[in-house]
Amino acid sequence: MSEIEGSPGTSMHGVTGREPVLAFSVASPMVHMDHTAKFDLPVDSEHKATVFKLFSLANPHMRTFHLSWLSFFTTFISTFAAAPLVPIIRDNLDLTKSDIGNAGVASVSGSIFSRLVMGAVCDLLGPRYGCAFLIMMSAPTVFCMSFVSDASGYIAVRFMIGFSLATFVSCQYWMSTMFNSKIIGLVNGTAAGWGNMGGGATQLLMPVLFEIIKKAGATPFTAWRIAFFIPGWLNVIMGILVLTLGQDLPDGNLGALQKKGDVAKDKFGKVLLNAVTNYRTWIFVLLYGYSMGVELTIDNVIAEYFYDRFDLKLHLAGIVAACFGMANLLARPFGGFTSDFMAKRFGMRGRLWNLWLLQTAGGACCLCLGLVNSLPLAIAFMMLFSIGAQAACGATFGIIPFISRRSLGIISGMTGAGGNFGSGLTQLIFFANASFSTEKGLSYMGIMIMLCTLPVTLVHFPQWGSMFLPASTDIVKGSEESYYVAEWTEEEKQKGMHQASLRFAENSRSERGGKVASAPTPPTNTPNHV
Amino acid sequence: MKFLLLQVSLLLFLLKTTNGEVLFSSLPRSLVVVASAMEGQVLKAGEDGITVSVGLNQTVTNQTNESFKKVKVKLCYAPVSQVDRKWRKTHDNLKTDRTCQYTIYDRPYDGKVEGFKWDIEKDVPTATYFVRSYVYNDANEEIAYGQTTNDKKSDNLFVIQGISGRHMSIDIASVCFSVFALLSLVGFFVIEKRQSKVKS
Repeated sequence: MSEIEGSPGTSMHGVTGREPVLAFSVASPMVHMDHTAKFDLPVDSEHKATVFKLFSLANPHMRTFHLSWLSFFTTFISTFAAAPLVPIIRDNLDLTKSDIGNAGVASVSGSIFSRLVMGAVCDLLGPRYGCAFLIMMSAPTVFCMSFVSDASGYIAVRFMIGFSLATFVSCQYWMSTMFNSKIIGLVNGTAAGWGNMGGGATQLLMPVLFEIIKKAGATPFTAWRIAFFIPGWLNVIMGILVLTLGQDLPDGNLGALQKKGDVAKDKFGKVLLNAVTNYRTWIFVLLYGYSMGVELTIDNVIAEYFYDRFDLKLHLAGIVAACFGMANLLARPFGGFTSDFMAKRFGMRGRLWNLWLLQTAGGACCLCLGLVNSLPLAIAFMMLFSIGAQAACGATFGIIPFISRRSLGIISGMTGAGGNFGSGLTQLIFFANASFSTEKGLSYMGIMIMLCTLPVTLVHFPQWGSMFLPASTDIVKGSEESYYVAEWTEEEKQKGMHQASLRFAENSRSERGGKVASAPTPPTNTPNHV
Repeated sequence: MKFLLLQVSLLLFLLKTTNGEVLFSSLPRSLVVVASAMEGQVLKAGEDGITVSVGLNQTVTNQTNESFKKVKVKLCYAPVSQVDRKWRKTHDNLKTDRTCQYTIYDRPYDGKVEGFKWDIEKDVPTATYFVRSYVYNDANEEIAYGQTTNDKKSDNLFVIQGISGRHMSIDIASVCFSVFALLSLVGFFVIEKRQSKVKS
């Protein structure tokens, strides 16, 4: 009845960042509740929570939520900890602009690979160990900063620390074992947004730590090294908390429970092929590189920019830079909300326009950020840019579940990796070489964002249309069923593997917009068990 | 005639500074700066020092030393240390100029030859330097300068070797914490595996 359990990509289900934002609980009669289970929150038949109580620490569901987003938050702190201290580090290590730029690229490149691997690790060891392993093993890499004495060491250490950003995957995977699929969107979106805030928090934290350590008597070139011990210890503490307080599944840990699995699994090769042959996948990989990617890039360059261009003191530059990342608290969910809102009236076409508008507006503000000479205007444009880019991230994952039902997990993973790739690329082109200044780099990046967002006009769904073209009027081709069932071959259909896709297609009719808006938003009526 | 020239140069000088922007190219080289650091010498931050003396340049006419109120001596980056480092860039407008980032002497001007010894502080980075001195007027604007190198900044440059910032104690602490992290991870894993074996 339910979809194929354990099939490739199911671990990423629910990684929408967007879904019923307004759905704080599941009231659907379709969800089979288990009223005999003794949990603090109401649960379904798999003991996944059907209610999201934000300020609770109830074991295991809400505790998992907090452990999970905090781990992701911690890795963001560690990965971008060097950024606000670059004005000191560049003098200590005699770095050139190229060195700094290359280190920034290195810091986001490692996780392109590690995010892809993390899904498999979670499948094998469970999300609790996946998360704990990554965090605890990256703690030594953070501590390694104390040994760095030249550019190559600096780049190598930032590269190694960057691997830890794969906690994004363990975070989302872990949520989907604990929360019912009808609210998983909100839960995952909140966790992703709050985790990303770490990139902002670190811009605040590190300069303050640096000043305190300096006041305690250390010279600047020693103080920044000592400051890195704090993110390192945060990693260790979070790792220990995850190991002692966390559990893989509502009923216990992975090793102690028996795995179900008598249903034929979907073949990884087929799922992957289905993902890469869908042109929409690649458009979104590109697009996410210019929403999430530029967000990561700015996390790396903005503090130094304000320090150099506007002569702000280190901790003030950090505060300004922090505002950029902290906007994630609301901006990312906001993007999802506007996506849903547009979808109610205009369906998928509304979502596509919403994404294009948000991301292009962000790009325009980035262009302006590089052009203005006054501090108040720069801060204003930076904030508008942050809202545009982060809301675009949220809006992206409002559309991704509809690209493919069969390969959702892999497409989500590829899109995530695309974000990091975009970050590495923009840092390499605009901020790592001496030919133009940082302000010119920002302006050019803004132009590139606007250009690279244009491909969203090409995304066309036969059943719903695209930005400029209406839906196909053909009865067969213009149906949701034909789109989603086309992912399966005749053989597979005979085995009944496409049943979940059929149900999904039925529920996705709300993406037609207009009068069909009575159906609740993005349905991923899916896995009972991830 | 000389008086007229003096007046004209004063006027031009005032015009250039009325909008608050002092251009380096407008400053006369009225000072002579001599530093104890020789060409190519490597000095260590936190250990060595530089002896500097600043005096009036007798060969430059049109001295307006009545308006010299304050003298500062600064440590400045040589061009080789500015390559690919925009945060040390030379701008003609002294407000935005980033060549000289360390002030090593700041006193009111008293007309005599100023001499002092400066111990190189621990926050001075590894780079190639020269020494420059500015004199300021009442409005705290630069009105003249002198430096140890030539106009092209290619002569008489010295190197300062900054401290590494590393300490044995930090290194040891770092290793200990890392080992703790790895051991606790492995420890938890082994303990839990054993517990699940015992249970089953």
